[in-house]
Amino acid sequence: MEDFLRNTGEKALDLARKKGVEAEAFLLQGRELSIEVIDGQVETFKEAEEAGLGLRVINQGRLGFVFTSDLSDEAVKQVVEDAISISHYTEADPHNCLPSGKYEYPVLEVYDPAIPAASLEAKIEMAREVEKVARSSDHRINIIERAGYEDSEFISVIMNTRGVYASGRGNFCGIYVFVVAEEDGDAQNGFSVMIKKNYKDLDSIFTGKEAAGNAIRALHARSISSAHLPCVMEPYVVTRFVSLLAQMVDAGMVQKGKSMFAGKLEQAVAAPVVNLVDDATWAGGIGTFPFDGEGVPSRRNTIIKDGILTGYLYDCHSASKAGVEPSGNGQRGSFRSLPSVGTSNFILQTGRPGSQELYDDIKKGLYITEVMGMHTANPISGDFSVGAAGIMIENGKLTYPVRGATIAGNLGDFFSDIESLGSDLRFFGGRGAPSIRLKSLSIAGD
Amino acid sequence: MKVRLNLVVGGSILDKAILERVLEEALKKGGDFAEIYIEEKQLSNVFCEDNRIEKVNSGREKGAGIRVVKDGKTAYVYTTDLSEEGLLKAAGVARHASANGKETSPIALSPKQPAFTISCKRLPDTVSFDEKIENVLAANKSARDVSEEIRQVTVAAGDLHKKVIIANSDGELAEDERTRIRVIVSTVAARDGIIQTGYESAGGVCGWELLEEIAFEDMAEKAARLAVNMLSARPAPAGRMPVVMSCEAGGTMVHEACGHGLEADLVQKGLSVYKDKIGEKVAAEGVSVIDDATLDGKYGTFRFDDEGNYGQRTVLIKDGVLQQYMYNRLTAIKDSRDSTGNGRRDSYQDKPIPRMSNTFIASGRDDPETIIKSTPSGLLVKKMGGGQVNTTNGDFVFDVQEAYMIEDGEVTYPVRGATLTGNGPMVLNGIDMVGTDLGFSIGVCGKDGQGVPVSDAQPTIRIKELTVGGTAPTGGPAKRRIRRV
Repeated sequence: MEDFLRNTGEKALDLARKKGVEAEAFLLQGRELSIEVIDGQVETFKEAEEAGLGLRVINQGRLGFVFTSDLSDEAVKQVVEDAISISHYTEADPHNCLPSGKYEYPVLEVYDPAIPAASLEAKIEMAREVEKVARSSDHRINIIERAGYEDSEFISVIMNTRGVYASGRGNFCGIYVFVVAEEDGDAQNGFSVMIKKNYKDLDSIFTGKEAAGNAIRALHARSISSAHLPCVMEPYVVTRFVSLLAQMVDAGMVQKGKSMFAGKLEQAVAAPVVNLVDDATWAGGIGTFPFDGEGVPSRRNTIIKDGILTGYLYDCHSASKAGVEPSGNGQRGSFRSLPSVGTSNFILQTGRPGSQELYDDIKKGLYITEVMGMHTANPISGDFSVGAAGIMIENGKLTYPVRGATIAGNLGDFFSDIESLGSDLRFFGGRGAPSIRLKSLSIAGD
Repeated sequence: MKVRLNLVVGGSILDKAILERVLEEALKKGGDFAEIYIEEKQLSNVFCEDNRIEKVNSGREKGAGIRVVKDGKTAYVYTTDLSEEGLLKAAGVARHASANGKETSPIALSPKQPAFTISCKRLPDTVSFDEKIENVLAANKSARDVSEEIRQVTVAAGDLHKKVIIANSDGELAEDERTRIRVIVSTVAARDGIIQTGYESAGGVCGWELLEEIAFEDMAEKAARLAVNMLSARPAPAGRMPVVMSCEAGGTMVHEACGHGLEADLVQKGLSVYKDKIGEKVAAEGVSVIDDATLDGKYGTFRFDDEGNYGQRTVLIKDGVLQQYMYNRLTAIKDSRDSTGNGRRDSYQDKPIPRMSNTFIASGRDDPETIIKSTPSGLLVKKMGGGQVNTTNGDFVFDVQEAYMIEDGEVTYPVRGATLTGNGPMVLNGIDMVGTDLGFSIGVCGKDGQGVPVSDAQPTIRIKELTVGGTAPTGGPAKRRIRRV
């Protein structure tokens, strides 16, 4: 398959060269398998394959982009013609550029042959197991919303007229379960998702139990009064906030004035305990791959060191504009879109290890386990106001569950108010974080 | 550029006989139902930022999804190989899951005629990039002309043309063409270290004649004014208070507060607060909620849903009483009834699930001005942003982009940073005034990883009490606590 993708890319680049434009071909072939079970039976079984080409041309500084899922010679020819024709409509930009030169790519383990080798029956069994464990771990787990297994593998090829050629094959697998706990007319959700690069690391018992536990602990939640309180957030909630940082450190956004971190390089943007990296070489990371979506080699980038903003993430365009080397963060979601700045494994690093809980000495506070409407937070102004649920902290102990609260503030204050971080680093997709403790948050309740 | 879309529909590559053979192949080992969904689409986007046309994209994609259902269980296979061999192979994989059934009888497809026409005067491929760009640049200028405090303007205009064929083992064959346009303006304004944003969008199931209805430049000006006005806004208060939602605020509230909870798959799995509530009062008197896929030109309009059922008008809540849920084929069979034509999918890569189309609270009897005048104090929401709901307990949250305080029936100062949280049934029961007006907003609704275009609408309404999640340390909530003591 890689040969077919390479040949198709060659054809596109040859045609582009003949027309006198620079070009980059990105080819992707992907396969996915998903199994969803209900009551131990396979409710939905999905198997799929797709392939496509995304072609970027740079015609005297003008950008053109066209994609197609049809890789026939005729379609590829049409794509090249359309991309060149489109490039006439965009404005020339000296920073539209393609990487060049002979790159050396890091050797990383990104393909686990055990995933395709495992039998379909074993995968179905794993989906059943996660459902069974969740259901049987407590009598109050009455509904399994969804439970399943998924895996995905892909081959990607990037080549351009400046001599870059990169190809690689990657895969990953995952299990999930979403449950509802019911008791005395109250119903609460809980879920757990585990995504791993290695098949052997999937743990259906852990996943099933965690989902059930998350739902049970939320039962009979009360509302609380509006107040400013110290808060501790679970890793999952922290990764949601860390995701907002991803846009704020995107050099493209910064250059366009669409980030509150614009002009803040070498300044304190967070509490001194905060360290943040983007590391595309992190062993076992979902975002780990030898090269980015433009064929630039992957590396580890420090973003925030001891609270000081030390760098942004760059693709080729934003790097050229800033006069720096690209950081290997030109990411693409599929063959359907242009590369743009994105994260790989984006990690808020752990604090000092300690046996104490972060809330041990909090007299009254909120332990936040869930946030809602996070997509409404504004990484440009930094304003956020999101729904929250969790457990009350009283005299260093977790007491009763709370729901229907809203937490609000500005992200600048949020990151500066981080007092301490736990040692419990967890990944949710390509975002990793430990628990954190915040000095104070504005909570709106009754 | 010429659109080359007749490869699939009306062409010789996929005639009826091939579809029949594929369906027969899919049911060879038994199964209750087989379906093939074929889609071919062409899209293009023009994107302006930093005062220049930064990107122009286009793309083509085609593919087919085949599903076989047996005893309510689904096997779904999709492929981009639309040759007869490719489709037969995919059908073979799909039928794998439902082994040991009996042979089925031959399938004879008969075409279904659409129930209404959708007017599309200017198809995307007949409008030049030059014209789209001219409009985009004019919008960019109009936004920047509002104020020097405008720091960034992003304008995007996109179109999509899609042809679909849906054929199933019940002998139904539906063919449809869909054209959608969407234009977006977002603005960033800054003053003394404060940054605020503005956003406007418009779109419909129509062609580029949309530009005659909506003035792109006015939209841009509005988005710019919003960002600049919000620079002077005070932080929103925190606490519970009456909320008036202006009709122009759009329908995010109805979408989150009750729309999702009325989708039959969630109801049947026990994941909705509206489960077992048919015939019961779930909203205040005078509140009716309707899902209508047949509204002319709206962003969530369709003639056939993605299972080949007719798009239709479904009254969900009538005068406060729950009438029915939104169904696709599978959930309808489970409840022994007909689908309401709400089976939609993101693309050929997804199985259809119950989704909303154009969902709205019907207009009522109150004069919108009077609603504000009769409110002693509270929050006036002029524009809503995105939202999210937990259908199991009905808790929802949505973002407010433009809001003002109401004091003694008068609109006073703007506030920023408010988010509204509430509980679906509680909020619907708390609506005590319903305006005579109706305002729509458009969006892409996400569920189970699938995005579909929808529109939502509501008249100006008043809700007795909602939780406003701002940051201002107001005396409001504190006073309430004192009163309670």
